Formats: sequence, C-alpha cells, structure tokens
Amino acid sequence: MPDPIPVDSQLALDAEEKEERYVHQVYEAIAGHFSQTRYKPWPVVEQFVQALPKGAVGVDVGCGNGKYLGLRPDIYTIGSDRCASLVAIAGERGHEVMCCDNLSLPYASERFDFALSIAVIHHFTSPERRAAAIEELLRVLKPGGQLLIFVWAMEQQGRRKFDPAHPDVFVPWVTRANQLPKPQREEDAPATTEAAGEGEERVYQRYYHLFVQGELDALVESLPHTRIVQSGYDRDNWYLVVAKEDAA
Amino acid sequence: MRLLTHNMLQCHARGCTTRNYPLRFEEVRLDTEEKTEVNPDFIMGMLPKLDWAALRTTAMQLGMTELPEQAPDTTMDEATIHALHAILLDTRVMEGKMVCDGCGHVYRIKDGVANMLLTEHEV
Repeated sequence: MPDPIPVDSQLALDAEEKEERYVHQVYEAIAGHFSQTRYKPWPVVEQFVQALPKGAVGVDVGCGNGKYLGLRPDIYTIGSDRCASLVAIAGERGHEVMCCDNLSLPYASERFDFALSIAVIHHFTSPERRAAAIEELLRVLKPGGQLLIFVWAMEQQGRRKFDPAHPDVFVPWVTRANQLPKPQREEDAPATTEAAGEGEERVYQRYYHLFVQGELDALVESLPHTRIVQSGYDRDNWYLVVAKEDAA
Repeated sequence: MRLLTHNMLQCHARGCTTRNYPLRFEEVRLDTEEKTEVNPDFIMGMLPKLDWAALRTTAMQLGMTELPEQAPDTTMDEATIHALHAILLDTRVMEGKMVCDGCGHVYRIKDGVANMLLTEHEV
C-alpha cells in the first residue's frame, strides 16, 4: 500500500476546509468500499458494549456502517455519522441512525448512559477541535455515564510506519472504479498509486492525527468532570474509557 | 427514525437555547407496520430515561392519544406496556420535518433517516 504522506504545514486550508476535503468528501466517495472492510467488531469495543447494564441508552458517534449498533437487543443505541452514504448503509441494515456532526450533536444534555467514539477523534485537524468533539460527547452523557474513545496510535507496530516528527498525515485509501462488492480487507488494497489498466485505480487521502502514548489521556484530563477508568492500546489504537463525573 | 430516538433530540442551531425541545413533527409519513417483539423489562427500564411530557406531546401530535398525563410507575399493566412499545419502538417516522418551536429551524427526515447537520452559519 502507498505510504502515508505528512500534511504540509503550509497547506493553505483552515481546519474545517481540511476536514471537509480530506475527511468528509473522502468518506462520501469511498463509503461503499470502506463499509465492505468494516464488519468485525474490535474486542475491546465489544467487551465495553457487552458490559453495559440492561436497558442502557447510548450513542455511537461516527458509527460508520453500524457494526457496533446491533450487538445487543436489550440496550438502545442511536448511531450517527457525518457521512450520509455510511448512514444510509447502516440504516438499510435496520439500525437506528441519523446524520450529524460530532462538534454539534443534536441531542439534549445528560440523557445517555454511554457513548462510543471509535476511530473518529483522529480525523479532527486541531487540538482545539479534538477537545471540542470529546466535550460534546461528554455533554450528552449523564453524570456517571461512560465514554469509550479509540484513536490511531503513532506507535503502530503493523504495516503502517509513521514518523514521530509528523503526527498529522494523509493516509491513502486506494479503490478501483469497478470495485466489486465483495468482502475485502484494507490490507488487500492494491499497492500502487498509478492507474492500472483494468479498473481505474483511485487514491483518496484521508487526514489523520496520530496520537502518541499519553496524548489522549492528557487531552481528556484537561476537560472538566472526567475520570479515566481504563487506558490501553489495542489494534494500532490508543483507547480510553472515561467516566463523566458529577459537576458538584 | 423511532420516537424513542426523537425523545432525545434537541435543536442545536446556533444561539437556540429556549423552546428547543421537543422538536415538533410536520408533514410526516409514519410506518407502523413492522411489529417488533415486546420486551416488558426493556420498556419498564426506559421509563426513567424518557422525558414523559415530551413523549406525550409528540404522541398526541401524531394522533396517538393513549398515553396518560403522568408517567406510569414501574407496575405497568400489560396494555400500557404494549402501548408504550408501539409508540417508542414500532412507530417509525419515514418522511417529514422536525421543526424547532424556538428558532423555527427545520430538520428533514428522508427514508427513515433524519438529517441533523447544520450548514456552516447555523453551527
């Protein structure tokens, strides 16, 4: 697969424009192919969901194709995504979903027992926006509610190698114009960026901020009324379970 | 979109802080055909998580008048459990609008999916 490319700090786009072009537009374009590669729940997320009390009500913000929405019939999870194409896929699978933005959630405050933020916060292009996205998730949680956050790690040991000098990168997504709807893993994506003869190859650049060890913890600790319950590393990601504390 | 989801929704347009809940339905097409399995424990467990006044107001707007003014206690009879299940989970809003009584913002529902995105100047 093509290597990640450092984001040029001179890139003449503000944070919102970067997210529009290198996150939102990319997911709209690759939604179908992306969804085919996302079907297996990650064990830590599954454990978190399975441990929730019966009757829990929560949100999965950035739910993609909804792979965490149907894990249990005895809880209620509202999925949402910024990407209308992924929301449509999740909806067709019978999940309860809507289109909204993590920075401005359409939910009343303190109504939810849990929130999932799986592979979302790393797509925000500034520390302020990453903090604002987490604060918005905390706003809708009841005191005592729990938030699970997964973000990409700088220290990934897999096939991707990142340079600590460049925490902000474009990660290519390669797809073919005639990509067939058959389960395919990201790992199997073609390795060149050149147009191939059969089925024109397209490379989309997705923006990622790579978190170094402790960075997500520090970000969450800087926000009021938070307590880190669990902190770990799994599948190339740093993750946290965060409890919302009483304001008092 | 189910009415249980609607009970959690609030207008989030910029500067809108009063009369922003619940959103009022307009010109809706409902689907009540699909009947899901009733789980009495689940329905009773939902009671403390609901805004009852908002649910009742919304149900009445949609012509469902069977909810009592006061939220039932946990010793609900079977008929009430079934009525609540039908309203919360088996009533799907397939098409229509949700209007904020505070600022007038309109959110649209299409193919059962609400679009709650705001344009840049509304955020």
